[in-house]
Amino acid sequence: MTNETPPDDRHGAGERTPSDGETETVDADDVPAHWTRARRMPDGGRTEDRGHDTLLGESGDDAELDRGPFERWVANAIKNPERAYRAMFYTATVFFLVTTLFPFYWLLMVALTPEGQQQDIILTPNGFNPSAFIEVFQVLPFHWYVFNSFVIATASTIVVLIIASLAGYAFGRLEFPGKVPMMMLVLVISFFPPAAFFIPLNDLFNTSFFALEPITGDGTLYNTPGAMVLPLSAIFMPLAIFILTTFYSQIPEGLEDAARVEGTTRLGALFRVIIPLSAPGVATAGVLTFIAVYNEFFFSFLMTDGQPENWAPILEGILGYQGQYEVMYHLMAASSIIGVIPVAILVIVAQEKIVSGLTAGALKE
Amino acid sequence: MATDTDSDRDTLIGGDGETERDRTGNAVVNWMENLSEAAYAYLLLVPAFLLLALIAFYPLVMTFVMSLREDQTRGGEPLGAFTGIDNYVDILTGNARLARQFMDVTLSTSFPFLEFGVPILQQALFVTLGFAVISVFFETVIGFGQAYVLDQEFRGRRWVRVAIILPWAVPIVIQGMLFFLLFQPEVGFGSDVMQWLGLFGPNPLADSQDSFVIILVADIWKSAAFMALLILAGLQSVDRSLYDVARVAGASPWQRFKRITLPLVMPALLVAMLFRTMDAMRVYGLIESTAGCTTVPSLTCLVVEAMFGGTRIYGTAAAVAFMTALVIGLIISVYVFFFRDTEGGPY
Repeated sequence: MTNETPPDDRHGAGERTPSDGETETVDADDVPAHWTRARRMPDGGRTEDRGHDTLLGESGDDAELDRGPFERWVANAIKNPERAYRAMFYTATVFFLVTTLFPFYWLLMVALTPEGQQQDIILTPNGFNPSAFIEVFQVLPFHWYVFNSFVIATASTIVVLIIASLAGYAFGRLEFPGKVPMMMLVLVISFFPPAAFFIPLNDLFNTSFFALEPITGDGTLYNTPGAMVLPLSAIFMPLAIFILTTFYSQIPEGLEDAARVEGTTRLGALFRVIIPLSAPGVATAGVLTFIAVYNEFFFSFLMTDGQPENWAPILEGILGYQGQYEVMYHLMAASSIIGVIPVAILVIVAQEKIVSGLTAGALKE
Repeated sequence: MATDTDSDRDTLIGGDGETERDRTGNAVVNWMENLSEAAYAYLLLVPAFLLLALIAFYPLVMTFVMSLREDQTRGGEPLGAFTGIDNYVDILTGNARLARQFMDVTLSTSFPFLEFGVPILQQALFVTLGFAVISVFFETVIGFGQAYVLDQEFRGRRWVRVAIILPWAVPIVIQGMLFFLLFQPEVGFGSDVMQWLGLFGPNPLADSQDSFVIILVADIWKSAAFMALLILAGLQSVDRSLYDVARVAGASPWQRFKRITLPLVMPALLVAMLFRTMDAMRVYGLIESTAGCTTVPSLTCLVVEAMFGGTRIYGTAAAVAFMTALVIGLIISVYVFFFRDTEGGPY
């Protein structure tokens, strides 16, 4: 929020204002002036009357001097609607910031409150007990759940990137009969509910395969990362395919031809020319897939028995603090905060990629 | 076979210094080099479609096959004899052995002409459809608001954008936990505030209606950002000079929105709404981690409960799962139809 405090050049703004009425545009250079005025709007000009008076005096609108501050503000707003929009813009920004961020803040307050005193927390914790963040790891092996989640999300991301790279290359750079129907098929799959796939998959993953026995012990995929990586890769692959199709199709033909003339194989050209040149696209698809898998609920919840040694992901850990006899609210809150940190970091670091990936992928589809 | 002779010749040229593996490697590379463009494209698509076949096509077909067989609650084999569409008939008439009904509606002669056998929020179809329609509506409205904010140039915009995207990136279980805590009477102030306003009962998470509202709010909180990003992409593709022209011509802000912004954003908006609707239709995790499936049964809840809850009714579970897919397929078709219309329309 500190970023938004307008620069304190009230007088400068006052001098500039009279001409602003005519030249009001969506112009980045005008920003400080807008801000100062916008700041004045919501409080009806009460606290900054002096600024208003100078402003009015300078612009020669003497007729307004005998009005009350609110009426004056309304008159100004009618005469110069851009101000009212600016005020609305500010109100909206603050509203969205509060609604999106306040829940996280509140969660932190709950986590910091000692057990059993969770009543009526709004802005401050009842007491101060940061040890909840250590207790989280003592009551349950929470780090183990987090580790499992990371392994599953990383593995799915790698699988998706490899398979979607091949498919994205085919869709983005090659011409072949049946291209559009096949793309539609991939798209439609991403719309179906996981529940429609779940029953047979549950059977399949509980069936013992002789070939898998050396790897999983009893030969089934249930309680292994495979039971989550396979379905999650399939579900989140379509978005990656569409993102990569967009990026790969933009690499100029000549670069690939040059590599081929140099004696690179077809696959070599894909992995040595196309993919490196589309690194931002690959990173975008990777980040989005990682977040999607890390956040997924359905398969993550149903494909293990919930034990950390059986690859149960982070969600089982967070739900685990709701014991049979005791509900540890402060630990639920603390573990939730720990669980949010990785994605929060990803969002801060890779927000441009997330935005471009979501829009490119979705709008392409 | 041209490719075979090619690879043979290559092996000969390669000389005798090569190992067996090199030779097969060369053969594969040569074979790939000589494929036509179309054949090479199909080859590259094989892994993707194999995975989709294993995880999506095969299970979807199997689900349908299973849904045609009787439930067998005892014994080793979970499915009984072939019964045709009996499971579907039972589900649609409210006679299935489900703990919550898919739908339970009978036609009547007096005014609303419909009678609900059990309260509407205990019927999975209506819970899911209602959830999808209401949440997508509010997400669109709020998403427009957020997109407008992000479309302005101001200092700190980057951080406002991070704040707005953040809920979208939160794991479903944490989103559920957050709203569970907010409305848990022992912890959160949410239930106190709502009770004081007279909107909620004493234990909102055990009441179908209150929980439905909580789940809606939770979904809107998380997903409006997705709408906002897609709408923002649409907004930024609008040529700014159009607004200047409109302003000169004396168009009011509302007219500018209706005549310029909305038509130009419409394609992006429709895609975003389609995505969100599909997502809302499969709601499960959010319900499971807040109020629980017994309080607010969604279609996916029904499937999971039928499989793991007490009695084993695989046939019915499969039928519900397949009907969920059908309902979603129907909605996609309606959307696609609407979308075609828009693209070919006046803009």
